[in-house]
Amino acid sequence: MASVTIEQVRKEYGAVPVIHGVSMEIEDGEFVTLVGPSGCGKSTLLRMLAGLEDISGGEILIGGRVVNDVAPKERDIAMVFQSYALYPHMTVAENMGFALKLKGEGKAAIDRRVREAADILALGPLLDRLPKQLSGGQRQRVAMGRAIVRHPQVFLFDEPLSNLDAKLRVTMRAEIKDLHQRLKTTTVYVTHDQIEAMTMADRIVVMRGGRVEQIGRPLELYDRPANTFVATFIGSPAMNLFEGAIADGRFVTASGVALPLPPGYRGEAPKVYGIRPEHLTIAERGVPATVVVVEPTGSETHVLVKLGSTDANLVLRDRVELEPGQPIAVTPDLAKVHLFSEQGMRVN
Amino acid sequence: MSDLAISTLPAEVTRKRSAIGSLRLIQTASILVIALVIVSPLLMLIVASLKDDRFQILADMGSFRAFWVPNPTLANFAEVGNLSGELAFGRYLLNSLFILAATVGAGLIVNSMAGFVLAWGSLRGRALILSLVIALYVIPQESIIMPLVIMVSRAGMTDTFAVQIVPWIASPLYIFLFYQFFAQLPKELFEAAEMDGASVFRIYRSIFLPLSLPALATVSILMGIETWNQYLWPILVTQTAYARPIAVAIATFFGQDSIYWDRAMAASVLMMLPILALYLAFQRWFVSSFVGSAVKG
Repeated sequence: MASVTIEQVRKEYGAVPVIHGVSMEIEDGEFVTLVGPSGCGKSTLLRMLAGLEDISGGEILIGGRVVNDVAPKERDIAMVFQSYALYPHMTVAENMGFALKLKGEGKAAIDRRVREAADILALGPLLDRLPKQLSGGQRQRVAMGRAIVRHPQVFLFDEPLSNLDAKLRVTMRAEIKDLHQRLKTTTVYVTHDQIEAMTMADRIVVMRGGRVEQIGRPLELYDRPANTFVATFIGSPAMNLFEGAIADGRFVTASGVALPLPPGYRGEAPKVYGIRPEHLTIAERGVPATVVVVEPTGSETHVLVKLGSTDANLVLRDRVELEPGQPIAVTPDLAKVHLFSEQGMRVN
Repeated sequence: MSDLAISTLPAEVTRKRSAIGSLRLIQTASILVIALVIVSPLLMLIVASLKDDRFQILADMGSFRAFWVPNPTLANFAEVGNLSGELAFGRYLLNSLFILAATVGAGLIVNSMAGFVLAWGSLRGRALILSLVIALYVIPQESIIMPLVIMVSRAGMTDTFAVQIVPWIASPLYIFLFYQFFAQLPKELFEAAEMDGASVFRIYRSIFLPLSLPALATVSILMGIETWNQYLWPILVTQTAYARPIAVAIATFFGQDSIYWDRAMAASVLMMLPILALYLAFQRWFVSSFVGSAVKG
């Protein structure tokens, strides 16, 4: 196990910069998720960490050693690819033992370590099968087995669950988290799925356009997003954002709806008012709204309403009888209101 | 209305089925005729090789008797299948087999390595080299053959096995075939092996080469046929029976006053058998490789 330090790392393809001086510190044994929309540079950063991409500037340290010019095989890291990248002509055992064979380990030692990894991942009965004889979830587990059998200092995961169906993804998510809790190996995990990031990570790094938007613990990011991008990227359904300005001690949206401010707020005048769907509730008296769509999911009810001309989402834990077009009143939980500046930065 | 529709349905179906049946019959008959036309020279060759009278072979040509042998005999094969002497076709066959094995064996290694490096190597000017390889492919072998003859004769290589093997090991066509095959394998396989600690050569040997069986089979067959049918080059660089291949040896029958058709036919069958065996052994991969490259472009 080792810590990972990324210092002002840049990546340019010719004249096109894709990573603009990213810095972060990943502690020994930590599970960090890089999350962001497609093209934000998260996979490029992971590949630079793996040694599969050259670094245009800055430094990457693994276990205190600068690895900028160190070959992937000498970085003592293991990577799980999105497409699994299992060797099709090798059995599960051969796939898992290949790295050890290259290291010159004896057959008995390879067998023992492959068995150990297979036991952890419940792959024992599959060791003699070829990858084409396995299901998607099993292939994913073999890919993880291939990584853990080496006892690396750092695990890298590049969107490993995106080829699985929704149900299997939930199961595998738990398996990866459980594996990390047992092995305590430093892990960097790339995903575009914020639920995956929230549920698995010790800390999340939100990226956009080759820059880090915010680094923090999952609930920190959820409760106190640093800007409107993080506010809308983390959480599903996304946070409701209303543009407007303060007038007469209230926040008046562009469509003229007046929203209450947190009591005693004296900070910079916000230009964007944010409230998460579950912090907007139906009340006897409050901000007038009109029901547009009602989506019961069983455990909760999602309601799309119009506040003036602006859409807003509500997530209600209680089952409610609502009809499209029905006028209601909604009220925000004032302790959970997020205020942002014109540039989208948090001000409260 | 619906009753009427139901009652007319079976007649329509029967008509359609009989039309499809006739069409299939015509198709099958056409395929059979084409196949017979293609196979008939081969059949004639085998039948003639089993006849012991060379004048009878000549007389039978042009009639259906060319496809029938009343008293088959292997005497012609016994006559030409010697390892020494005037009719040492057994020796020529072994020469050809050795040249084939050495050229194809070395060709598979060299061309696959070159294709792999062009597809995956971190080589400066890779695109330029690939363009040159493709450009070389359009130059016909015959146009460079005289300078090659001068080169090998100055190097003192004439009348050797090496002179028939070395110049034809590396080929732009086969390098390109391997390049195309390797380039379409996923990048992650290379990277995963790299992460596992494999060197570039190890990635080639342990991952990419075992996965390239269809390409290996295709190149084996194409290269095998090309080597086996080499005629102009060996005639220019061999003077004695020492390294003479069977294709050149057979031609000697036709340079004499009297043509021994019986021996020529038996020698031709001998020449045909190994390449046919090679094709039969690899044809599954051969076909799949060509179909694959056609679909994937």
